[in-house]
Amino acid sequence: MTSSSPDLSLQIGSLQMKNPVMTASGTFGYGVEYAELFDMSKLGAVVIKAATMKPRVGNPPPRIAETPAGMLNAIGLQNPGADAVISEKLPQLAEYDVPVIVNLSGESVDEYVQLAEKFSACGQVDALELNISCPNVEHGMDFGTRPELTAELVGKVRAASDLPLITKLSPNVTDITEIAVAAVDAGSDALSVINTLLGISIDVERRRPLLGNVTGGLSGPAIKPVALRCVWQVYEQVDVPIIGVGGIMNTRDALEFIMAGASAVAVGTATFVNPTASVEIVAGLQQYFAEHDLPDLGALVGAAHP
Amino acid sequence: MVSVECELLSNEEDAPGHYVMALAAPEIAAEAQPGQFVHLRTPRTFDPLLRRPFSIMLADKVHGHLRLLAQVVGRGTEILVNTPVGAKLEVLGPLGTGFPLPTGDGDVLMVAGGVGVAPLISLADALRGFEHPAYIRGLFGAADEDMLVCWIEFAGRCDEFYVTTEDGSAGERGLITEALAQQLDRGQAAVAYTCGPVAMMAAVAQMCGDADVPCYCSLEQRMGCGIGACLGCVIAAADGGYLRVCKDGPVFATDRLDWEAILSDQQ
Repeated sequence: MTSSSPDLSLQIGSLQMKNPVMTASGTFGYGVEYAELFDMSKLGAVVIKAATMKPRVGNPPPRIAETPAGMLNAIGLQNPGADAVISEKLPQLAEYDVPVIVNLSGESVDEYVQLAEKFSACGQVDALELNISCPNVEHGMDFGTRPELTAELVGKVRAASDLPLITKLSPNVTDITEIAVAAVDAGSDALSVINTLLGISIDVERRRPLLGNVTGGLSGPAIKPVALRCVWQVYEQVDVPIIGVGGIMNTRDALEFIMAGASAVAVGTATFVNPTASVEIVAGLQQYFAEHDLPDLGALVGAAHP
Repeated sequence: MVSVECELLSNEEDAPGHYVMALAAPEIAAEAQPGQFVHLRTPRTFDPLLRRPFSIMLADKVHGHLRLLAQVVGRGTEILVNTPVGAKLEVLGPLGTGFPLPTGDGDVLMVAGGVGVAPLISLADALRGFEHPAYIRGLFGAADEDMLVCWIEFAGRCDEFYVTTEDGSAGERGLITEALAQQLDRGQAAVAYTCGPVAMMAAVAQMCGDADVPCYCSLEQRMGCGIGACLGCVIAAADGGYLRVCKDGPVFATDRLDWEAILSDQQ
């Protein structure tokens, strides 16, 4: 029994989180959807659905398909556009004592810069997450698959905003560490590792792809080993905090990511299965750290590395 | 909306592959409105991963029980209907936007196709409880006699009841839309409610539109979160955008939907 509770807080630039558990963009809407089910202020941070400059209607249905221990999604960045997110969605989150991170998705470097400026100026978000890895829109992954484009984009957004910058990496690359290093060298304060894996499901009765968009992003327990491998590899190459994402369903999964090198974890698909998964993981981590006499988060980050 | 563990009180096969499951869910039963649904987790596993949505067929607010009608369509529903009585299921609900209740005079038409009868039973049950109960003309179509699931529960809550089967094994031989045409010709219908196969609902929507009878349908779609966050279960709207089946629906005024797109998305 420890005399004081372990310190699970962490800092990413000016972003101060009371614990390392976040939601994953796109799985938590704008937060308020889940407010009836649990107290959002128990989370380290909330990452809201990707925002684009203009409203997007998204992809034709079906948009999701279940796969073994996972799911494919091809939502296609449906959102009301940056201005509506700022004026209609973010104010609803203001009453909760939790940092808000907005996920940004642009079609060009200029558009990412404009998005970063808009959200920095609005005063309602605590950090930016650059989505350079969306598999469900045309060119969505370009900035996340070519290191020179990653560097250019992150550098320009860095120059346009004082907010902490998190870059969300795609696993759909030959060597994720190249992209990670490019993003960090260009000024990214942290990395989210990983976005979904590109996949397809086929309806054998209709003899057609099951998803309206043909391809979709694979998430859920099925991708956890891949995500862990990516976190492991990136941890060995960069010195910024890594946010582990990919198939985290419970405390044990979160611990694996932390030991692989993640300083924080984002819970995504698990929330669909168990709406309170994220807050259960917060409690579970506190219990584990206390039971193992770990004073703070840093004591476990990367612990599995030789 | 609550997320609770509920005991499975009974589970009976009503028609081949169709089970009526009763759950002890007092919080959900108390809140439930006709046409709402619950999201059930497949027990103790991440494979299958996602929850399965089920219309609430009856919400017994006195005893705190819910009755669901589950059709086995795949591995997830197979596992759910094989849950032993007495076991607990994780239930999220009540979810979604249900049926708007009739406001004026005139008869209520209900057009059910197969397992789509479930939300209409909840609606008919609610309308019976009114001080001045609406006059309900129920229409039930199915492929054959066996597929007239829970017809007794439906018929018992209607003032008039018509059945069609495609093979003529019960009621009139033919499609339920033929019976609907006769009912619309009679006039006096203030509103229509429908749930069943998409092609049937598209036809019902068209016929009611032509007859100037407001019509509401209950849809289903592959679902992720069930509460409006993930935008996975959308359906094409008449205005060119998409509506969330889980949150904006599952009940929609049929004139809000783009039926042509909905039918083509299914092909």
